[in-house]
Amino acid sequence: MNFSEIKKIISESAKKIGIAEYDIYYSESSETSTETLKHEISGFSSSDSIGIGFRCIVDGKFGQASCEHISKEELEMLVVKAADNAKYIESSDEAIIFKGSEHYENVPCEQFRAPTSGTLRDIALEIEDKTYKEGELVTDGTQCGAGTGVVAVHMYNSYGLELHKSAGYVYYYSCPVVSDGKETEDSVEAKNAKNFDEIDNVVKKAVKNANAKLGADSVPSGSYNVIISGKKFSEFLAEFCGCFSAKQVKLGLSKLAGKLDEKIASDIVTITDDPFSDELCGKNAFDGEGVATRTKNVIENGVLKTYFYDLAMAKHFGVEPTGNASRGYSSPVSISPYFLYLNKGDKSFDELLEIAGNGIYVTELKSFSATNAVTGDFSIESAGYLIEDGKIGKFVKSFTIAGNFFELLKNIEALSNDLQVEHSGLFRGFASPDVFVKNISVAGK
Amino acid sequence: MIDKILADEVLLKAVSGGADFAEIFCELTRTNVVSLVDKKIDKINDNVISGVGIRAFYGTQTVYASTCDTSREGLLACAAKVADVISLDKKISSVNLTEKIFANIHPVAVDPIASGMGYKTDILKNACRSAESYDSLIEQAQGNLSCIERNIWIANTEGLFTFDKHTRTRMYITAIAAQNGEKQTGMCAPGRGMGLEVFDIFKPEDIGAEAARHALVNLRADYCPAGKMTVAIENGFGGVIFHEACGHSLEATCVGIGNSKMCGKLGQKIANEKVTAIDDGTIPGGWGSNNIDDEGNPTQKNILIEKGILKNYMIDRLGSRRMNMPVTGNSRRQNYTFEPTSRMTNTYIDNGPDKNEDIIKSIEYGIYAKKMGGGSVNPLTNDFNFAVIEGYIVRNGEICEPVRGASLIGNGAEILNLIDMVGQNLDRGQGMCGSVSGAVPTDVGQPLIRVSNITVGGR
Repeated sequence: MNFSEIKKIISESAKKIGIAEYDIYYSESSETSTETLKHEISGFSSSDSIGIGFRCIVDGKFGQASCEHISKEELEMLVVKAADNAKYIESSDEAIIFKGSEHYENVPCEQFRAPTSGTLRDIALEIEDKTYKEGELVTDGTQCGAGTGVVAVHMYNSYGLELHKSAGYVYYYSCPVVSDGKETEDSVEAKNAKNFDEIDNVVKKAVKNANAKLGADSVPSGSYNVIISGKKFSEFLAEFCGCFSAKQVKLGLSKLAGKLDEKIASDIVTITDDPFSDELCGKNAFDGEGVATRTKNVIENGVLKTYFYDLAMAKHFGVEPTGNASRGYSSPVSISPYFLYLNKGDKSFDELLEIAGNGIYVTELKSFSATNAVTGDFSIESAGYLIEDGKIGKFVKSFTIAGNFFELLKNIEALSNDLQVEHSGLFRGFASPDVFVKNISVAGK
Repeated sequence: MIDKILADEVLLKAVSGGADFAEIFCELTRTNVVSLVDKKIDKINDNVISGVGIRAFYGTQTVYASTCDTSREGLLACAAKVADVISLDKKISSVNLTEKIFANIHPVAVDPIASGMGYKTDILKNACRSAESYDSLIEQAQGNLSCIERNIWIANTEGLFTFDKHTRTRMYITAIAAQNGEKQTGMCAPGRGMGLEVFDIFKPEDIGAEAARHALVNLRADYCPAGKMTVAIENGFGGVIFHEACGHSLEATCVGIGNSKMCGKLGQKIANEKVTAIDDGTIPGGWGSNNIDDEGNPTQKNILIEKGILKNYMIDRLGSRRMNMPVTGNSRRQNYTFEPTSRMTNTYIDNGPDKNEDIIKSIEYGIYAKKMGGGSVNPLTNDFNFAVIEGYIVRNGEICEPVRGASLIGNGAEILNLIDMVGQNLDRGQGMCGSVSGAVPTDVGQPLIRVSNITVGGR
């Protein structure tokens, strides 16, 4: 069944039970991946999936339901279930089906030619071969892989608004295991991209990092000057970006509530959300409710400029929506950024090291389990390199860094002049330069 | 969802490239999640997950394909994708499927998917109301009630043809306490492999009150100090320490390819003799329980460590081939789009010889970690971490002021030997464990234990 047929069945079902306002979110994806172990392809997998989300307004409230099984009966059931669910909703958020924006950024869907299964196998074996050759200490247990995926999204609503986006990508990784006979360590270096151009770089980094970990010790507990690598600070942005959501502000669960146009971060902090960034595998001209997206600074030179709004929150706060409603076919509409990045600074990495003097360059954060999105507190198992007299020293691990995200934003002293990207999906990502902060609490040996 | 004749046809197609084993996993899962925010039912989401995963082995190499097209043509196309990757001599030319139904040891009294929505919203409201009325400092409570009914059909070229239905219900309440502009959170999130009768065991009012109590403790807590200390870790979700420090390293996922510190250590002493650890997928109504695993093997009670000695691993079918050891009923996956692998079910440290009060009394200065959050581990190195979400300073054998914002980190191989006191109040807590085959429900558990020396990630 194609999207036109699905639309027709759903429209008729909605009409039959008297539903006038609704929208349909349809996504179609296919992925193929291959993995190596001991110079052979150890695993090969592919998946094709389709999902449909349906949302409707009954007596001013939204009801919703979703499914993956595309049959006439299931689609009719979807409409009935969503309408029934709406009867129990009590939220005072206004339910709005959007009539459409005047203008949508022209982001033509690039033609993406997915590599064949054979190509993926060859690439995975090539990465493995290069990984073994990159270092003498690389040993069995090493796993490498390559994959590809395409996703297409269609939105349609009862006002006739019809929107479409699609994206394709490849990904590849090297996960070397290295052993010096006494200790065994590993490392992962992965890349999401449009092509396989950076295999050599990925392999070199992976093996270099794994080798550096052999013999690594912890550090004494104390207060340290810390440079958080751009990739890792991107993870901080991903973890705490909920504080920019107008819904969290409305519920009193954002520390940034009531702080618009106030100074909340260091002067050198400008954070931007760009739905059209070239760093994304898929660009976003519209959001999960069909609103046109736009690029905006959430923090400009340390001052909070805006929150992210969907239609309901824009109505609540009396502002224009920012086009930040996010949605998957099975998940309710929420608010999130597209490509959120801390703008780069003016220091070379060597200059940052010099400013730091002595401290730690954090290149690994193991888990954000001990973080609290409401308070901003964090305590994270980390690893990285010692900074000794402005130079990179030996690798250190088994320590935590602890602090508060909102204090961190205020205390950023310097930024590197390169942007490092961390993808979190086809249409979303985070990025940051290396970030230098003084006096971070470290617990180690 | 699939009959024997079609299963037979699809399996033969999947092995037509020369595979020596093939398996079909069909799934029809219905989920219903009700969310409450700001005293009002905010969202209700019904979702239907349905599709098929087909897997083939040739030796220790695997091919997996999944599709949501469950028509005959869809299944055969999916099987053809699997067959096309393998180009060997044909090894299997017939399959003799025999239907086998395993006893249901997790009966459901109140079907949560079929139950009226009004009943579910009332349960959720009761919990949130209870949290909000617990104390005037509780600013708000929010939560959700999730119900899942998972139907699976499994057929394989060894002749297995089986079906299982499993139901799970969980409520997650977060309370927010506020004073002088400061806000802190507390949570309570019990769940079971049961229907709505789970709320006869966990009264919604008690769930709300516990979340509120937790938030109030954090509101008066100062930051946790940093450094190496003696730590007492309470029962229930405290078992996350074993889950991270050791459990993942005993899964065939990493043991089978040599990427675990626990490789080759069967029969060796790897933990303090007070530690006996068990993975038990058969606990009636357990959050991590099932009648069968996702390869159709009956779940088991496996003793992993007995009095400090490593006794067994957790092994799926592929791991069994790689390790030349029998499967243990631990093969799991989030849904049909994931290839299954060995995963924990309900994993816990058993009761030990020490009295709980003696454990606290034995600590001159340290931390009493009452409630824990999630964590992670690198099974290759055994380096792990997890969050303490409710903690207290212990001074001269007494539990003193609360502290917040800490994680505990260590190395599993070392920490297992540093668990030097094991108490007697075994209980389990519920979590979602994320790994290569997706997020699966797992219980962690233990009685109160003492770790003589561990890094506390405070500030």
